Amino acid sequence: MGKPTGFLEFGRELPGKRAPKERVHDFKEIYLDFGEEQINEQAARCMDCGTPFCHKGCPLGNIIPEFNDAVYHKDWEQAIDILHSTNNFPEFTGRICPAPCEASCVLGINKPPVTIELLEKTIIEKAYKLGYVKPEIPKVRTSKKVAVIGSGPSGLSAAAQLNKAGHWVIVFERADAPGGLLRYGIPDFKLEKWVVQRRVDIMKAEGVIFKPGVNVGVDISMTSIMEDFDAVVLCTGSTIPRDMRLKGRKLKGVHFAMEFLTQQNKRVAGVEVTSEDVIIAKGKSVIVIGGGDTGSDCVGTANRQEAKSILQLELLPKPAESRTEKDPWPKYPTILRTSTSHEEGCERQWSILTKEFIGDENGNLKAIRVSDIQWGTGMRGRPEYIEIEGSGREIPCELALLAVGFVHGETDKFNEWKEFELDEKGNILTNGQYKTNIEKVFAAGDIHRGQSLVVWAIAEGREAAREIDIYLMGNSFLEARDDSLINMVSHTPKP
Amino acid sequence: MRENKNKGVYVPSMEHDACGIGFVANLKGKKSHSVVTNAMEMLMNMEHRGAVGSDPGTGDGAGILIQMPHVFFKEKCKNLGFDLPEFGKYGVGMIFFPEDEAVREECRYILNKHIGELGFELLGYRKVPTHNEHIGVTAKSIEPWIEQLFVRHKTITNPAELERKIYVLKKYTSHFVGHNIEENKNEFYFLSFSYKTIVYKGQLRTNQVVPYFSDLDDERVETALALVHSRFSTNTFPKWKLAQPFKYIAHNGEINTIRGNINWMSSKESLMESSNFIKEDIDRLLPICDTEHSDSANLDSIIEILVLGGRSITHALMMVIPEAWQDNKHMPEYKKSFYAYHASLMEPWDGPASICFTDGNVVGATLDRNGLRPSRYCLTTDDMVIMASEAGALRVDQSKVVMKGRLQPGKMFVADLSQGRIISDEELKKDICTRKPYKKWLDEYAISIRDLPLVDNFEFQYDESTLIQRQIAHGFTSEDFKMILQPMVDQKTEPLGSMGADTPLAVLSDQSQHLSGYFKQLFAQVSNPPIDPIRERLVMSLQGSFGATKNILDETPEHCRQIYLKQPILKNSQLVKLIGLDSPFFKSKVIECTFNANAGKGALEDAIDYICYKAENAVRYGINVLVLSDRTMNANLAPIPSLLFVGAVNHHLIRKRLRAKTGIVVEAGDVRETHHFATLIGYGATAINPYLTFETLVSLKKQDVFRKKMENVEIFQNYIEAINYGLLKIFSKMGISTIQSYQGAQIFEALGINKKVINKCFFRTVSRIGGIGFNEIARETLVRHKMAFPKIPLPKQRLEVGGLYQWKRRGEHHLFNPDTIDLLQQATRNQDYKLYMEYAKRINDQTKKAATLRGLLKFKKRNSIPIEEVEPKENIFRRFATGAMSFGSISYEAHSTLAVAMNRIGGKSNSGEGGEDEIRFEKKPNGDWERSSIKQVASGRFGVTSHYLTNASELQIKMAQGAKPGEGGQLPGYKVDDWIGRVRHSTPGVGLISPPPHHDIYSIEDLAQLIHDLKNSNRDARINVKLVAETGVGTIAAGVAKAKADVVLISGWDGGTGASPISSIRHTGLPWELGLSEAHQTLVKNKLRDRIVVQADGQLKTGRDLAIAALLGAEEWGVATAALVTEGCIMMRKCHMNTCPVGIATQNHELRKLFSGKPEHVINLFKFLAEELREIMAELGFATVDDMIGRSDVLRMRKNIDHWKIKTVDLSGILYREKTDPESVNYCNKVQDHVLEKALDWKILEAARPALENGESVKLELPITNVDRTAGTILSNEISKKYKGEGLPEGTIHVKFRGSAGQSFGAFGARGIKLELEGEANDYFGKGLSGGQLFVYPDREAKFVPEEQIIIGNVAFYGATSGEAYIRGQAGERFCVRNSGAKAVVEGIGDHGCEYMTGGVAVVLGKTGRNFAAGMSGGTAYVFDPDQRFGSYCNMGMVDFDEMDKEDHTVLKTLLENHKKYTKSTVAKEILDRWKSSVKHFIKVMPKDYKRILLERKEKLKQAI
Repeated sequence: MGKPTGFLEFGRELPGKRAPKERVHDFKEIYLDFGEEQINEQAARCMDCGTPFCHKGCPLGNIIPEFNDAVYHKDWEQAIDILHSTNNFPEFTGRICPAPCEASCVLGINKPPVTIELLEKTIIEKAYKLGYVKPEIPKVRTSKKVAVIGSGPSGLSAAAQLNKAGHWVIVFERADAPGGLLRYGIPDFKLEKWVVQRRVDIMKAEGVIFKPGVNVGVDISMTSIMEDFDAVVLCTGSTIPRDMRLKGRKLKGVHFAMEFLTQQNKRVAGVEVTSEDVIIAKGKSVIVIGGGDTGSDCVGTANRQEAKSILQLELLPKPAESRTEKDPWPKYPTILRTSTSHEEGCERQWSILTKEFIGDENGNLKAIRVSDIQWGTGMRGRPEYIEIEGSGREIPCELALLAVGFVHGETDKFNEWKEFELDEKGNILTNGQYKTNIEKVFAAGDIHRGQSLVVWAIAEGREAAREIDIYLMGNSFLEARDDSLINMVSHTPKP
Repeated sequence: MRENKNKGVYVPSMEHDACGIGFVANLKGKKSHSVVTNAMEMLMNMEHRGAVGSDPGTGDGAGILIQMPHVFFKEKCKNLGFDLPEFGKYGVGMIFFPEDEAVREECRYILNKHIGELGFELLGYRKVPTHNEHIGVTAKSIEPWIEQLFVRHKTITNPAELERKIYVLKKYTSHFVGHNIEENKNEFYFLSFSYKTIVYKGQLRTNQVVPYFSDLDDERVETALALVHSRFSTNTFPKWKLAQPFKYIAHNGEINTIRGNINWMSSKESLMESSNFIKEDIDRLLPICDTEHSDSANLDSIIEILVLGGRSITHALMMVIPEAWQDNKHMPEYKKSFYAYHASLMEPWDGPASICFTDGNVVGATLDRNGLRPSRYCLTTDDMVIMASEAGALRVDQSKVVMKGRLQPGKMFVADLSQGRIISDEELKKDICTRKPYKKWLDEYAISIRDLPLVDNFEFQYDESTLIQRQIAHGFTSEDFKMILQPMVDQKTEPLGSMGADTPLAVLSDQSQHLSGYFKQLFAQVSNPPIDPIRERLVMSLQGSFGATKNILDETPEHCRQIYLKQPILKNSQLVKLIGLDSPFFKSKVIECTFNANAGKGALEDAIDYICYKAENAVRYGINVLVLSDRTMNANLAPIPSLLFVGAVNHHLIRKRLRAKTGIVVEAGDVRETHHFATLIGYGATAINPYLTFETLVSLKKQDVFRKKMENVEIFQNYIEAINYGLLKIFSKMGISTIQSYQGAQIFEALGINKKVINKCFFRTVSRIGGIGFNEIARETLVRHKMAFPKIPLPKQRLEVGGLYQWKRRGEHHLFNPDTIDLLQQATRNQDYKLYMEYAKRINDQTKKAATLRGLLKFKKRNSIPIEEVEPKENIFRRFATGAMSFGSISYEAHSTLAVAMNRIGGKSNSGEGGEDEIRFEKKPNGDWERSSIKQVASGRFGVTSHYLTNASELQIKMAQGAKPGEGGQLPGYKVDDWIGRVRHSTPGVGLISPPPHHDIYSIEDLAQLIHDLKNSNRDARINVKLVAETGVGTIAAGVAKAKADVVLISGWDGGTGASPISSIRHTGLPWELGLSEAHQTLVKNKLRDRIVVQADGQLKTGRDLAIAALLGAEEWGVATAALVTEGCIMMRKCHMNTCPVGIATQNHELRKLFSGKPEHVINLFKFLAEELREIMAELGFATVDDMIGRSDVLRMRKNIDHWKIKTVDLSGILYREKTDPESVNYCNKVQDHVLEKALDWKILEAARPALENGESVKLELPITNVDRTAGTILSNEISKKYKGEGLPEGTIHVKFRGSAGQSFGAFGARGIKLELEGEANDYFGKGLSGGQLFVYPDREAKFVPEEQIIIGNVAFYGATSGEAYIRGQAGERFCVRNSGAKAVVEGIGDHGCEYMTGGVAVVLGKTGRNFAAGMSGGTAYVFDPDQRFGSYCNMGMVDFDEMDKEDHTVLKTLLENHKKYTKSTVAKEILDRWKSSVKHFIKVMPKDYKRILLERKEKLKQAI
């Protein structure tokens, strides 16, 4: 390990950010560069634990102490090698991951945790800069072909892994460019799109074929895909947003967050927004319903669009500022999180129940009706709320953005062809090894798991790729998340 | 050894014994009956060195060897109707016949037939009169039929020739009966058969020998010499023939390398030729050694053949048990040459040994190189020579004593009765060593590998392109780089780790295992001491040689035609030299050791057979350097595990009796850790080339991972040094000193290997739970191979992460992982039993991932009872203890929290070995008590004072620790802060060393002595002996029970540590399941179970673990790691680095503040454990824990095991239940009788009452003898009880003794006692001295020059903490070892003086032995050295010779004046008389570390002023 006493000598530090006043005028990266010495000190804080909880906390199983050590020793080649062994896309997770690893960092028991996410981002950017990220072209090709449907984080990681195993991989994407949520969901100020394209280019060079603008089931039938490919993996995400069936929902000015965000991403990318319903926050009083990350992205985007005012409402009560006994280390704690978007200006209210959208005579949204609520414990010990009498009020607004989550993916899309078995939440059910009820067809990412984090999507894509490889070859030499490869190889029965 | 036929896990070959030995002789050879009576009296006075088992009448064995009582026999035979010829013309065989008449007569028939066949004439038999009225029931139950046989030879008239023919007759008949008479059950046995000596012995107590054999009581039985022996066996299974003496020797000790010695001997036998024996007779003699007999008996056999083959007995002993010669700069050249030459004939039979020997004419004694057994002798004016384990065992008139002495390490004491004189070691050995021109022979014939010609045009290529594939195929992991290879190169030693192992045993692991992972290193505990390979490096050697061994009965120059290696690891250049050998004398051949990866089942075994076949042919053809290589592996050829092919070839060649004709070189890719090297050498490899590791090191250099820039040569050299260091440590933990005797000695137990593999490759290695066979080994190997060479290769291949030393998601399974740690912490913090059960389930349910043997077990269905009927948990709490963790290894906060928690619930916490702050002895105002109930006494004896011992409910003698059995420890100076320094009675800032052995426990009788000492120091405390599970722990436990311990703790291999070499954490010791069941089964078998409490510990984590431990025989449990986890431990495994981030294993003040554990959390853990246990008890229908103990019948193996490796395991041995009498119990319900009522101290206490009650001065006089042991200790305990650490004013109780004091005189003597001894004393004089004063000077009658004689024994002032002592005369080895505060003046000492000393003052006014001041980190020694010889005797590793200043002069002068005053020393007087000139001859020995700290302090003080 780098420095046994590093954690006693250095405190947690993160790079500076551009001033909010400056950054709201563009969609560029917010964080400033960090000096090499500083990053070195941050890496030195890692204690190289005998039981690295971070490594458990990371859904990908990133081998965090090892790459921290490599950073400490300024061995960037080694660092990226370790990082890439578990994570195909550290440039994404290094920017947008909520970092459950840091929540479970052992140093976090009584001190601020190691800046793992920052280290991850630094490693991959350094590696690109130093030319260590090169296309790794398979030495031998199998004769197998795999179709990946959807090019979000799970589709991309599945494709990358399957390609590595020597299979021919074709990725279908209905949008005009690959990346899914990464490209058209997450705002540029959190993830600039050249970062996505850079990786897509590497994958292309490695032999992955992308077919954007092809909507499977519409432009090409599932039947023909099944004929052409030895295996198919569905990575189409959890795209159906949760709606709020309230009075006035149909009013103009009430939109799903994702519609709003996607339009802006397209604008930044220079793609013409063709939708008849152009959503722009400029000069409007904006209310974002939902206190999560998507809501926060709406706040940041609305600010950049020069909204008049922004209010973010959350049903749940305001969380504590720091970890409470309810969610002790190493759990991922529910605490008040202030994003860079919040810093840029917005009002936040908690324990607010949205009751109605109120429109003007033209069918345009002019206000929403809300009530304060009081949270308590219900009969079965579950949290329940009651409305506080007399708290009902109207808040004027012209744009309401619904960011209250997603229900599941578009699982019924292929119903005419074949029906997928679903779990109780409406996600595609698999046999525990990513295999659906339909022969040859696998599912990974949010369509399988339900709405989740990018890091989980990447993890699912990787794991599914392994299973597909085993399905095709009888065995797989691709890394597994929770077990040693040797062990996996020794256990997999021969076909 | 016989195959283990019993169903349990007890292994008969592991019996140990230790003893009292000695001889009495008339120097002029004058025969008398009084020699017999004197010898017997001496033996009886060493009764306390022997032992009795459950049957008080049955001893472990005693006997006597005397010269042939010709006159007596002549008369007796006449009465029987036959005439004996004159002395020297007939032989007398003393025989144990089987009791069964038919079998007996069958044996007799064969014997008679052979008598005729070999040209003898049968004169007659004589039934030996025996009287068994007083012997024990057990002994009587298998009492043999004893007869004497009288023969003479028809043609042979020369006595020496007759002796040899008799020998042939004896061996021939013994072998024949052994092979052909099944019913004989090994009972037919020659005690002796000779024309000149005879042995009487049996399973008797010392005082039973003469009554039993009435011959010995007959005045006509006269002899000039008598060798006696009394045995203290670790077990009590009756065995008459294990009693000693044998034909030539009586042995006190262990031959640790016996397995290898026997294996080597079997090959050497085939080469034997002698002009003294005809060929047919040689064949009749074979085998000379065999595993049927004890190590001592085999040692006797080898001496016998060497002597009868033509060497003198002294020569034979020098050959078999050589001195430490390799690095001895004081040894004359001729002697070194002698030993170097004989090393090519015979490897040392290594292990602690004190041997008395005789050939009927010469009588003597010798000690092995380590000299770890006491032997004292004296000579009187009337020609009596007495030699015994203790001084004073035979009372002599002090005015007649001419000479007193002790045997020194490696030295021989010989009385030649025909010459009528004592021959000095120097004269004797010079004579033997110069009989042949050994040096010239060596110069001409011995070759160093350095001198072999370099091979041109040949260089192994480093192939980087395939490196990673080969690394994967050979099982390298990235963790190996980081945790093993890199630290080895950087630090030149083995890397350290901490906490225990919670990973699965190799056979249970999912991960592909290195074959050596199935082999656990054995280690010395109790019956033999481990060695300190660093501080006592002078006895260790890694030198080996290649070439064929020749006929051991002859000596020619060609015998030493060998290639010598300084150490066993071959660099590539050296390997090339060996491969290139092709001369008339040395030929090498490379045999490829790979197998076809695609050939399917059986391929590996076929390949092994073929390799053996090729090896055999090669050796028959004359190849004497056999190179076994896996270098040719590739995508189709998988490498065979090197350990497997080495073991196979070694045993194949042994079976074919060819092994001694060749050296075995291993060129293997799978060798990287110390343990890999150790297993290869242990199974026969002579030298090893780890080529892939070398290549890996080169690639690591390119990655720039090492701390500094180095050339390849330096990197290799560092790595080799690290491995060498590790190897010495592994040898030494078993008490083995040389690689030559370690090679092939198989010091391992296999865990998870099946019989077939064992028999073929690791023959006679203990393997008790079955396990994998050739097919599974092949599968395990092929998995790696397949990984390395996949059909569809990935763009980038990576190594596995490993995950052995740190938890890794893709690595090895750990029971303590993020999930379980979190669950346990949340459960205990929130007092959430449900959550605890969630935790317990993850530990207990091992259906998916196995980790422990108990995980494979299941409870049988029984009638359950309501939980209310199960005894309450409050009853169970008293059975709990927390583990021994020292204050020093963990913080005060963590340590005292455990103590408070355990005191609140009535369990026991353990101080660990670091002493305890006195403030914790008193209860706090809120009623909490930070006192640890269990006080540990470990080898470092830190802070072990009378006061400390007095404040305990239990005293635990730590013989071994699961994480590093057989090793000592080291607390670096930076961890010794002021507080810890004070508690440990050491200097803050100065590092502390715990030696590997307790220097007062070299054998079981020594342990009995320490138990006795501790019982004296605190009569209310239970004495607990902590052992670690290994083969033979059962017999040790039985020995411990017989040594009168109240509790025996069996620890698993996996227990935790604050710092230990990581190879030790993983590869030493066995699971407690095995050790515990072995201990329980053996105790029950020996009927000792009811007198000792059995405790178990080692990664006990759940109530189910406790239940299984109880069912396997434990009534109490220790929990350590789990308790630490509840205190906040998150298994950082950084304890050794002082950086614990949760304030547990650290002394850093900032970090200690972060400690957040509470006693309540710990209490919750124990409540939950007890609750879970109670639920299981209810389920199984047990109302009390007592009912459960030893009920292994309630357990069975799980049926749902389908893992390809795990299903080969068979635990029936562990589950075997000894049949017991209906009235006997499975748990302890008796108290040990410590026989304290005989203590001399009661008399003193009586007289000292005014002192104890009112502090008045008292003085009294008492006689003392060697059976009065531990004088003054009860008295000190009483002082400590009342006057605490302070004690009484100096000299308040003054006792004057006269006589020969027993062992441990003044042990733990508290301040206020003043013990004056006129006479002499034995070992452990002033052990643990805690402020008392001790003076000793010779008896007023003595005529000898005091300063030239030995007056006190070995290991004086071991662990003394304060007080003073003046010794008029010399002391033995290890004077002031681990002294931390006492001041002592002595007039000469043996080897290893002031070893590990950390404080106090030692003044030596005479000669010192070798290795003075080894490991000395504190205190000062002043050595009077007018001849300027001291320099080369001092180990300068940690000390300097300093100028004396004024202060020194004052200190020294005061001490000398006291010495003169108290002992009337003329030496002191002379020095003082000429003070000005004599003071210049003093050398001040000053530890560097200590000096630095003192200087720093002075500086500080100056600044303050």
